Amino acid sequence: MKKYLSVFRISFAQEFAYRLNFIMWRVRNVMQILLLFFLWTTVFSESGRTIFGYNKGEILTYVFGVLIVRAIVFSARAVDVAGEISTGDLTILLLKPINYFKYWLTRDISSKALNLAFATVEITILFSLLRPQFFFQTNGYSLLGFGISLIIAILLFFSILMTTNFVAFWAPQVAWGAQFFVIVVIADFLAGVLFPLDILPSVVQKILLFTPFPYLIFFPIQVYLGKIIGGAMWGGILISIIWLSILLALTNKVWHRGLLVYRAEGR
Amino acid sequence: MEKTILVDHLIKNFEVTVKKPGLTGAFSTLFSPQKKAVRALKDISFSVGKGELVGFIGPNGAGKTTTLKVLSGLLYPTSGLTQVLGFDPWERKPEFLKKISLVMGQKNQLWWDLPAIETFELNRAIYEIPKKVYKESLEELVNLLEVAKLLNIQVRRLSLGQRMRLELVAALLHQPEILFLDEPTIGLDLVAQEKIRNFIYDYNRKHSATILLTSHNMNDLINLARRVIVIDSGRIIFDGILDELIARFAKEKIIKLTLSKEINDKKLEEIGKVRKIQFPEVELRVPRSTAAVAASELLQNFPIEDLTIEEESIEDIIRKVFRGESKKSLRK
Repeated sequence: MKKYLSVFRISFAQEFAYRLNFIMWRVRNVMQILLLFFLWTTVFSESGRTIFGYNKGEILTYVFGVLIVRAIVFSARAVDVAGEISTGDLTILLLKPINYFKYWLTRDISSKALNLAFATVEITILFSLLRPQFFFQTNGYSLLGFGISLIIAILLFFSILMTTNFVAFWAPQVAWGAQFFVIVVIADFLAGVLFPLDILPSVVQKILLFTPFPYLIFFPIQVYLGKIIGGAMWGGILISIIWLSILLALTNKVWHRGLLVYRAEGR
Repeated sequence: MEKTILVDHLIKNFEVTVKKPGLTGAFSTLFSPQKKAVRALKDISFSVGKGELVGFIGPNGAGKTTTLKVLSGLLYPTSGLTQVLGFDPWERKPEFLKKISLVMGQKNQLWWDLPAIETFELNRAIYEIPKKVYKESLEELVNLLEVAKLLNIQVRRLSLGQRMRLELVAALLHQPEILFLDEPTIGLDLVAQEKIRNFIYDYNRKHSATILLTSHNMNDLINLARRVIVIDSGRIIFDGILDELIARFAKEKIIKLTLSKEINDKKLEEIGKVRKIQFPEVELRVPRSTAAVAASELLQNFPIEDLTIEEESIEDIIRKVFRGESKKSLRK
């Protein structure tokens, strides 16, 4: 355990070495949220209007929920794994008595902690400027479900990200493209970052809920909002746990297959 | 003698995609990749005893680094047996990794944006080095490599030589029993090379650590390695004492002349290969077996003031080995 605490510490220190980069990344997040905020405010400009079962307060809570949950789930250092494999820098970690997955998960968590700290500040500022109607969940049951689904979401994203990055073992040139496709296209779209998934036709929704993607963003937020409760909540958590075990097993398998062809390049 | 490293009939093949040049080539590679098997190691066997310092030599791409990578568990051997300290390196068990270290001249483990001491602390945690041992180990290494002043400077601000010495500290904090060094002096100036060499020599003595070293630097081999393994095109073509390699490979002798009168060098060519001619000094290369005959012929027929017969220099011989010229003469 102590070794991973050290990894956390040095990873945190490393993030601060590229302050400007980090700030730009946060600015991008804020811009994205402002865009969504004004989009939905325009849509709901008539007072008392509801669309797809959402009123203004709920949709804005969803948008702010995305900001927080996204900061927790999607901010990850493991995006560097593909590069590490193709340059051969993976060698350095392979030589050390440390678990590769725990190493990157630790680095992810340190990145998440930093991002969360900034997201909290940003939200406080945006909140006091925009003064949106916001929904605070007080039901302990929903909060517990939210906590559990959030942890699952973090691990789900981690395994999806790792597996995608492992493509570099076979095709170092396409690894970046694969990562972009998975994170930006699939995860952002199907996870519910751009819009709440329940505005989609119910058939599409039902199909989506059997894939792992809604459990990254959409599901935890809906649980927080109290829109998914009771049996549906535990059912969703069960499905996401099943997906998590499948994906973790897959990640592990791909990793071991990848090591067989690893060439430890660059000397 | 106790065997620390055992390699038996090791074979390693790589599969590479053949890339065609240009844009159309890139596209055709994408859709119908042509695979080619590269045979990096073709059946090599050797063993190393505890505390030995062995140098690997051979031309570029001969398989030296590949061997070190297989031994440190990075590459999966295609076939054959490898055993290091009784472990199968490929399993990369923590107990195994705690006893070895691989230092690569062109790959750094130091965190680029942070002072080196941060990496050292991280390694202390990763290798689970007890605080007392860590303190002693760090102090010893820092003194030997003279890096006390560099510990708190961002790694990116250091020179290559300074960084290399810090890399060695990071690699040795856990006091490995086996040290693999891949081109440890590459790109360093003469003073820095000398420092690294002295350190390797001392470390080998002091800790009776087993050291395997690849280098293109002849001085590294001459000063450090008692035993050398010559690899060429994935095969071991020589394994033995350095002096023996020289004796075996020195097929020529050098005759140095001082002439009393300028003469036509065409005549000299009949006796041996003229390597240098700068009146009055001449350098001739002649086959070992005929050196004496050549010398007497020279003395009889040429206006000679002085004549000496010398051995080829170690550098020349190793240089030939690097160029792959040794292949024919060593393979019986």
